[in-house]
Amino acid sequence: MPEHRSTASIVTCVKAFLLLAMVGLAACGKPATHDEIRFAIAQAPLTLDPRYATDAASERVNRLIYHQLVDFDVHYRPVPSLATWICSDARHCRFSLKTDGRTFHDGSRLTAEDVVATYRSLLELKDSPHTAEFANISDVLAVDADTVDFTLKHADDQFPARLIIGILPARLLAQAHDFSHHPIGSGPLKFVAWNRALQLQRVSDGQRFVLQEVRDPTVRVLKLLRGEADMLQGDLPPELVVYLKRQPSIVVKEVPGTNDSYLGFNMQDLVLRDVRVRRAITLSIDRDAIIHQAMIGGTRPATAILPPEHWAGNPNLKPYPHDPKEARRLLTEAGIRLPLKLVYKTSTDAQRVRLATIMQAQMQQAGIDLEIRSLDWGTFFDDVKHGKFQLYGLTWVGIKTPEIYRLAFHSASVPPAGANRGRVADEILDREIERGDWSAATARIHELLPYVPLWYEGQFLAMQAGFAGDHLSPDGNWDWMQTFRRKLK
Amino acid sequence: MSRSAAVLSFWILLALVAPWLGLSADAIHLDKILAGPGMDAWLGYDDLGRDLLARLLAGAGVSLTVAGCVTVVTFILGTLVGLIAGYHGGWLDRLLMQITEVFLAFPGILLAIAFAAVLGPGVGNLILALCLTSWVGYARLARGQALALANRQHVLAAQVLGASTMRILIKHVLPLLAAPLLVEATFSIASLIIAEASLSFLGLGIQPPHASWGAMLRDGVRYLLVASHYVLVVGGSLMSLVLAVNLLGDKLRDTLDVKDRNF
Repeated sequence: MPEHRSTASIVTCVKAFLLLAMVGLAACGKPATHDEIRFAIAQAPLTLDPRYATDAASERVNRLIYHQLVDFDVHYRPVPSLATWICSDARHCRFSLKTDGRTFHDGSRLTAEDVVATYRSLLELKDSPHTAEFANISDVLAVDADTVDFTLKHADDQFPARLIIGILPARLLAQAHDFSHHPIGSGPLKFVAWNRALQLQRVSDGQRFVLQEVRDPTVRVLKLLRGEADMLQGDLPPELVVYLKRQPSIVVKEVPGTNDSYLGFNMQDLVLRDVRVRRAITLSIDRDAIIHQAMIGGTRPATAILPPEHWAGNPNLKPYPHDPKEARRLLTEAGIRLPLKLVYKTSTDAQRVRLATIMQAQMQQAGIDLEIRSLDWGTFFDDVKHGKFQLYGLTWVGIKTPEIYRLAFHSASVPPAGANRGRVADEILDREIERGDWSAATARIHELLPYVPLWYEGQFLAMQAGFAGDHLSPDGNWDWMQTFRRKLK
Repeated sequence: MSRSAAVLSFWILLALVAPWLGLSADAIHLDKILAGPGMDAWLGYDDLGRDLLARLLAGAGVSLTVAGCVTVVTFILGTLVGLIAGYHGGWLDRLLMQITEVFLAFPGILLAIAFAAVLGPGVGNLILALCLTSWVGYARLARGQALALANRQHVLAAQVLGASTMRILIKHVLPLLAAPLLVEATFSIASLIIAEASLSFLGLGIQPPHASWGAMLRDGVRYLLVASHYVLVVGGSLMSLVLAVNLLGDKLRDTLDVKDRNF
């Protein structure tokens, strides 16, 4: 009997231990009591200095930490953000600072001197990727504490739309402050700390946000499901988005996107310089099938870099249909001996390679033998810039102004002068771009097919139930952090 | 025949007969993306709606060829370098080991990117790149063993009896260091299959739509939550192969171990 009792005691002890362990583990897995909103991101920002930021995460965070002079409305027309403006002619613009949003997070007041210091700093920097964008500025002067005058070297009707760099305090600029790690702006969110995760605080109500980098998509989803993250946005395979939609504790919001994924041609290639070949390749792609089966909700076919709802968009353009027979006919007409062998370069992003593989199979039906080469980003982008490709795939991200057409298709914009990577050289197109006739320019591009606009990839935000606020922007920015809050129970 | 040999033979046989089975490993069915196992596809479909069984068999050939070729070449090369360095000693040892250390210190991924840029894709280039980075392990191991063995009584006796260096190395040193090298070789199979996927991802080696186990495993992990069959099928196959190779390696080691022999 004593032996039985002892065995029973041991069993009880083991059960108690297991129970405690389970409670402990459960406590580890569940969120501690917290007030912050935890946002799992695929890639952390590289810099919080808007003069140097080029990656999407940095630009999205900087939009929240700093105020910019100009922003865009739903039709992507430039609208006042920190300042209103009047341009007396195409070379002179006067910006008048508004009264709100003019307190830096260190308590000092944002004045015209800060605007002048920010743009002068940009012009003087030798290593800023944005300096070239403002090379047209001849002079920037503070008229008084609330007024700034910009004078340009050459006429530029679109100039106000370029002033989207966050304003930095002049005093700290003079001290060569490290904005990249300790930013001080006047935006709706202020910087708190950046150790393992980036911590921000909303100025209006003190709501804290923790932005934690979680690179692996599966781990990101698991963190959301286990309550270790409150939300995540973008950068997931579509199947995982569908999976999240099925989870009762998760809310997924989707919006149509505006970032144009495209397939670029090298117009100097002996085969691809024939428009019939480019048209055949375009006709061989079944975009609807890809969008329906392998893309996230909200994805729609694209006909130009700017979407049709953009003020410079062209809603009259119709997507090329999927017609492999016609594609074959065009290739034969062009004197191509089938199968036509082509090389398509893409990055190592798994979804990009996946989509390329689908297009490869579709092109086979049209007699095109596409060889896919996935390269690390550095090699890939270097090849693209230097024209070392036949076909390549990329996405234009966050494009707001029709100036992109000059940058991407004007014959004077071949890299390094611009982003005319396909080496397009068409006099008619050049003239239309120079005239700013975007409708005619986009129609000409649609006809010439120097690239195939594929789709505008949809955007999504997945979050724990129990949050309220404005939702997602079509360009995938993180502006929802300005309003998001937990619902009161 | 042992079970491990049977498993290895099974995979080799499947890899050999796969091209004649009439399976279409590259046929995409977008409406069947990540669909589970069924009568039409016994192991289910992958992330592009391709038959996993067909791709598994197609990938087995590629992965076994790459892993096998690289293991054989690096085993021979590394052992030769290590053996000569360790036995000869002196300036030749220093020279060979410094070359080894240069290869060891050079980041493999950087070398792969450079190769991808210069050579482009292809199984041959992939094998070359993997060989260039994988032989150093064998060389260091063989050199360490040879250093210890060079002063053994039986080696000294062979020298006194006038045996040639080649004979001493082959007859008296190599058999004693074969065991740890074989274990190293069996362990390297799995890492080579994974390395193949990484290099292919960087533009060197197997490019889409061709199948390889490493690439399938990498892709399968992405869909662990929604299509666990994908990664389980590939992971299970890889595990069975690696386990079989490791067990065979153990058996081979036991067979070759001269200490266990009854003279």
